[in-house]
Amino acid sequence: MLPFTRRRFLKTTAAAAGTALAGASQLLATDTASGPAASRPEPVRVIDCHAHLHHHSSSAWKENDRKLIDAGEKLGIDQLCCSILTPKRPATAAAFRECNKWLAEGIQRFPGRVLGYCYVNPGYTSEALDEIRRCVLDRGFIGIKLYNEYFCTEPVVFPIVELAIELGVPILHHAGHAHYFLEDQPRISDGGHLAELSRRYPEAKLICAHVCGGGDWEWTIEALRHAPGVFLDTSGSVTDEGMVEMAARVLGVDRLVFGCDMSMTAGVGKIRGADLSAQDKEKILGGNLEKLLRRRKT
Amino acid sequence: MIIDINAYLGHFAFRQLRHNTGASLLQLMDAKRIDKAVVSSAGAITYRNAQPGNEEVASAVERYRDRLIPFAVINPAYAGWEDDFKRCHHLGMKGLRLYPKWHNYGLTNESCLRLVDAASELEMVISIPIRVEDYRQRSWLVDVPDIPLEEIVALVRARPQAHFILLNGIGFVNSPLGRRDSGLPANYVIEISRLSALLDNEIGQLIASLGAEQLVLGTGMPFSYPDPALLKIEVLAASKEDKEKICWRNIAQWLRL
Repeated sequence: MLPFTRRRFLKTTAAAAGTALAGASQLLATDTASGPAASRPEPVRVIDCHAHLHHHSSSAWKENDRKLIDAGEKLGIDQLCCSILTPKRPATAAAFRECNKWLAEGIQRFPGRVLGYCYVNPGYTSEALDEIRRCVLDRGFIGIKLYNEYFCTEPVVFPIVELAIELGVPILHHAGHAHYFLEDQPRISDGGHLAELSRRYPEAKLICAHVCGGGDWEWTIEALRHAPGVFLDTSGSVTDEGMVEMAARVLGVDRLVFGCDMSMTAGVGKIRGADLSAQDKEKILGGNLEKLLRRRKT
Repeated sequence: MIIDINAYLGHFAFRQLRHNTGASLLQLMDAKRIDKAVVSSAGAITYRNAQPGNEEVASAVERYRDRLIPFAVINPAYAGWEDDFKRCHHLGMKGLRLYPKWHNYGLTNESCLRLVDAASELEMVISIPIRVEDYRQRSWLVDVPDIPLEEIVALVRARPQAHFILLNGIGFVNSPLGRRDSGLPANYVIEISRLSALLDNEIGQLIASLGAEQLVLGTGMPFSYPDPALLKIEVLAASKEDKEKICWRNIAQWLRL
């Protein structure tokens, strides 16, 4: 099978589905692409907004990092926005600094392919703020990754949000909404928390992580309806039909950003399968995130 | 040729489904170039009495029997299941879908084993969805766990003459079901919709350990977009012959198509 490139998959106007056996696929090609290829503008970069390089406590971290890059290559993903999380949380300041150092090395190892989120635990306020400045200003990271150490509406998180606004970078926030208590994640934020944070800081650019990460995605989309400052990351292993279309209808395609969160074919497949125009899919696949990243102030 | 072993018609209790009529599912299949699909009732998953769901499916596929292959949802813990089973066989259903956790029975219970034996006698295959939807998005009304693979192992071992299709599962490489040397009969095939084709590449690992003969394509449509499963086949590092086995040859043999 030929390797996939963004040029190949976005230039085609033919239906790509059903080529499983033909080997002539264009991975993110859409059923609804219109117009002759030559007359269409150069496609946007395909950017996975949610990925992870591997913590070095795993003996296979190097091989697994390589597999991720290869998978992205195979699927026609140009760039992967990555963080490295600590295996045990809440993370200490030393532990999140170590993760970010490894990520900076990963960015060097895969030049042009990996973009970095600075992961911090907001509980270490001064260390976290210092680390964000170091990562964004010195290492060229593109944003901040927050996990579930605190609800995003807790005051301890506010200085992080204010710094993100100052630097003009987005925050990718771990999120999920289940209709039962998640004992292992007592402070997981959901779409409602992110909407509330966005009302407090309308100028912040927040990304609600992995709507397909297993919670009630319909609830999440509804909770974000009136929060224009919150983007929705489409990643996660769930591939429920109609999810992308509902998100586009309720939130607008301009607020959707493509991601896989390591569920690679699920991430790409749901965008490919969505009943949206090629132009809308290009926005989701990278156009929206590129626009967001251009807001960086430094 | 592509045969989808994992498709549904009708309504699901906890989420609106699209493409869930015979005609609309066929439209989706045409768009994705899926030739045939095995369908069962989505409604019967939560109906107390599953049989009206089977009747709905039989009626829905009547005009499309060349492409939609009906399977029956039978609950062997429910009164009159033997009559429902006979009726479904009479309606031309070529196999079963079992939901032991949703319908509250054990796979190796006496009545379930009797159902399996009856199906085997009539050369009907038995498909078992390990899950219906991701448990983290479950309604506040229900708490239905995935079927542990050990329970599948016990059934497969107990009925070597039966033919089982395991749908919507994952983690087979860490189970006896994923190992040739486990001593289990080769009386089951594993459907790929939740298996990875990249990174861990569980599909590739299963081809190496079991052979492509024990894998089949299913998409889960219209619960799921069909594209992710089709994409797995596209990116899978496997021979054209192996992909053909997974996409249709294996299941065509089992269903005598």
